[in-house]
Amino acid sequence: MKLFSTRFISGAALAMALSVAPAAFARTPVDQLVIGTSLAQVLSLDPQQGTEVKTQEILANTYDRLVQFSGEEGYAIRPQLAESWEVDDTGITFHLRDATFASGNPVTAADVVFSLTRLIMMDQSAAANLKNVGYTPETIADLISAPDEKTFRIEMTDSVIPESLLYRLAGGTASVVDSAVVKEHVSNDDYGNAWLRTNTAGSGPFVLRRWTPNDVVLLEANEQYWDGAPAMRRVIMRHAPESQAARLMLERGDIDVANALTAPDVLTFTDKEGFSIDEVKTGGYYVLSMNAGREPLSNPLVREAIAYGIDYQGIADTILGPYGRPRNVPVPEDFEGAIDNPDWSFQPERARELLAEAGYADGFDLTLKTIAQTPRVDMATAIQASLADIGINVSIQQGNGSDIVASHRARDFDLLIPQTGAFMPTALGSIDNFVTNPDNALEANNAGNFVWRSAWDIPELNAMRNEANGERDDARRLELLRQMQEMFIAQKPAVLPMFERFEPIVISERVHGYEGHPWSLTRLDDVTKTED
Amino acid sequence: MTEFSLIELGKRLGQLVLSLFVLLVVTFVIGRVMPTDPVGAIVGELADPAALEAMRARLGLDLPLYQQFWIYLMGLLHGDLGNAILTGNPVMQDLRAAFPATLELATLAVILSTLIGVPLGMTAAFFRDTWIDRLARILSLVGHSIPVFWFGIVGLVIFYASLSWVGGPGRVDIYLEGLVEPRTGLLLIDSLWAGDWEVFRSAVHHIILPAAILAYSAMAYITRMTRSFTLEQLNQDYVVAARAKGASNWRILAGHILPNIAVQLVTILAISYGSLLEGAVVTEIVFSWPGIGQYMTNALMIGDMNAILATTLIIGAIFMMLNFLSDLAYLVLDPRTREVAS
Repeated sequence: MKLFSTRFISGAALAMALSVAPAAFARTPVDQLVIGTSLAQVLSLDPQQGTEVKTQEILANTYDRLVQFSGEEGYAIRPQLAESWEVDDTGITFHLRDATFASGNPVTAADVVFSLTRLIMMDQSAAANLKNVGYTPETIADLISAPDEKTFRIEMTDSVIPESLLYRLAGGTASVVDSAVVKEHVSNDDYGNAWLRTNTAGSGPFVLRRWTPNDVVLLEANEQYWDGAPAMRRVIMRHAPESQAARLMLERGDIDVANALTAPDVLTFTDKEGFSIDEVKTGGYYVLSMNAGREPLSNPLVREAIAYGIDYQGIADTILGPYGRPRNVPVPEDFEGAIDNPDWSFQPERARELLAEAGYADGFDLTLKTIAQTPRVDMATAIQASLADIGINVSIQQGNGSDIVASHRARDFDLLIPQTGAFMPTALGSIDNFVTNPDNALEANNAGNFVWRSAWDIPELNAMRNEANGERDDARRLELLRQMQEMFIAQKPAVLPMFERFEPIVISERVHGYEGHPWSLTRLDDVTKTED
Repeated sequence: MTEFSLIELGKRLGQLVLSLFVLLVVTFVIGRVMPTDPVGAIVGELADPAALEAMRARLGLDLPLYQQFWIYLMGLLHGDLGNAILTGNPVMQDLRAAFPATLELATLAVILSTLIGVPLGMTAAFFRDTWIDRLARILSLVGHSIPVFWFGIVGLVIFYASLSWVGGPGRVDIYLEGLVEPRTGLLLIDSLWAGDWEVFRSAVHHIILPAAILAYSAMAYITRMTRSFTLEQLNQDYVVAARAKGASNWRILAGHILPNIAVQLVTILAISYGSLLEGAVVTEIVFSWPGIGQYMTNALMIGDMNAILATTLIIGAIFMMLNFLSDLAYLVLDPRTREVAS
């Protein structure tokens, strides 16, 4: 026994010693793509439930939608499962291509009907963009149909134009699931949600092989994919929550793409040989929400003073870097129909005058709530410093996502820093969050609405928003959008856009064809890799 | 063991169960009164209040607190810790997957820290105020005062990024992920079991740095304590007698002092092991190590109570078990405690 132990121990010691000898420079294999990211918020892979940004990249590759778009072709809507479609006065008719799910079942119009019904009936956040234009549990059955196996038809409501309906159908939440497979896994009327949270049933170029929460997502090529098997045999998404560690892994060649780096770490790759930075435009914003239901923020002069009291350029230069650029209009400056920025640069003198005019010459105290995450915490600190300059004493309260979002939903804050996304890459899509508030009453309890949460009552803007959403004439719609932006600024917004939001991605030059998507629906079937 | 110490043992076990129950009650109450609302995380930020309420009812969070606790307790007695919101899996299944990663890391760290810390502490005490003693003191002061987080990053920059001596974050090179069937969950053992030399080699490369960094902070404590235990012994008559008889330094340290401080050592090693299992949190984040530390951090971020309760219970139970075992070790290793007990 003793002899065995000694031998065993020395054998094990030798094995360990050999193992820690310097490794050869290990690069990722040429047929596997490795993405370093943060999987912390990925709670569900059910396409009709998971809305988190990093979830979208997984859904984008395991499922197909009827249509798609990318930044490459000016955000134009292109075919995906639908080979073609016709728009008429009352709706859109889609003609599906011959495609099969990973299970081998053919993709039919009945699957599309099933998926969209499922989305609306499950009634979670994922359904918001279709629900807010009239596709509700009460109406959905009458609005969608499958005239035959390869034809899908959706009727338009009065609140939606074809363009905006197509963008809504291009979203990750409109992914088409394999109805036969999902129905097999329904339990307790949950529409198969419990099963689909951790499994996939799609027709996309990859299949989910393994998902270990907060560790790794393994996707394997779907050899049967209708557009041909992808070049990558495997895609590995590795949870690398610590930015500096992820940066080192990218530099060493252990990962090929990093999309959760802090601003300083992204900047170290500027001009570094062998890497490129893709600053993906989201169309969304970092916002300062002010509670207009509370004194003194109910006073437009005070809100304007705050708009003059923030050092946007300073924050952009020192904190946001590749993550954002200053902009106070809720339409990105290069979108068609965008107006010029108002003169809300940092002007403490002007801000103090406005405060005096409002009757607050001696200033006042406010709290500022923010999620304890970079870059929002640093942004909060900078805002605190510059508002102190104009006599407003801000105390910062940090919390986790659930805390802060719950406070936001309950109108329980003075100031709060949320972020938005654009539900479509157009002026209408980006402004929508900022000008929609059908009923500001407390009893309306419209906690899912961004403007309601700030108790900002905007009946005229809301009416114009509804009109624009149903306006089919492009020129007239753009004119309405310009007027809405002017009116938004004139009313001194309680939801103040501060910075356009970007998602920087650092990519190794070994990777070709990786194109960041505004909604993180980055498709990987065309990605290839080279040895060097 | 005498009858009396069996009774004593039973009493201790009873105390252990009671302590666990108190821990459970306290964690449960704190967790339920926390402002964090996991339901928002599930249904999403834009959901209607009605959808939120429906989900709350589905999870049983609308029931009175005592009823929720009763349901939880009954589940627990049947070995059911509920489902995690974070992953959708039963918490038990998640813990089975996450715990071995932490266990592997902490065990290697405690072995390393003991192998270095105990001899170093003893030598430092024996050669008090010489350069060895000063070196040991500096080493333990540094290990004690520098944050593990900083050590982790610096270690990665030097040994991973610059020298390429060790693997980077994660348990194994990324392209080797998922090749070995998890049987024990301990990757070093599983890869040897499967005979996959490449995965084993990669796993060793990846564990060595985080384990060394964890071990260093534990070693600081072990060295300091061992040094003071040894100092207490050096003036004892038996050491003076051994010296007078001409025993070698080695014989005095290993043959005389070590057995006498063994009991105290067992206690501090147990404490270190417990803290390593619990304190791997920061290391796990820096090194993307998928253990319970990282699991718990993420659960806390969204207020996933079932996951938080389960990890708290596990960590509490480990601490109490280690305490219990070190008390047992006293009885076994130190005859004096047995005599007093009987």
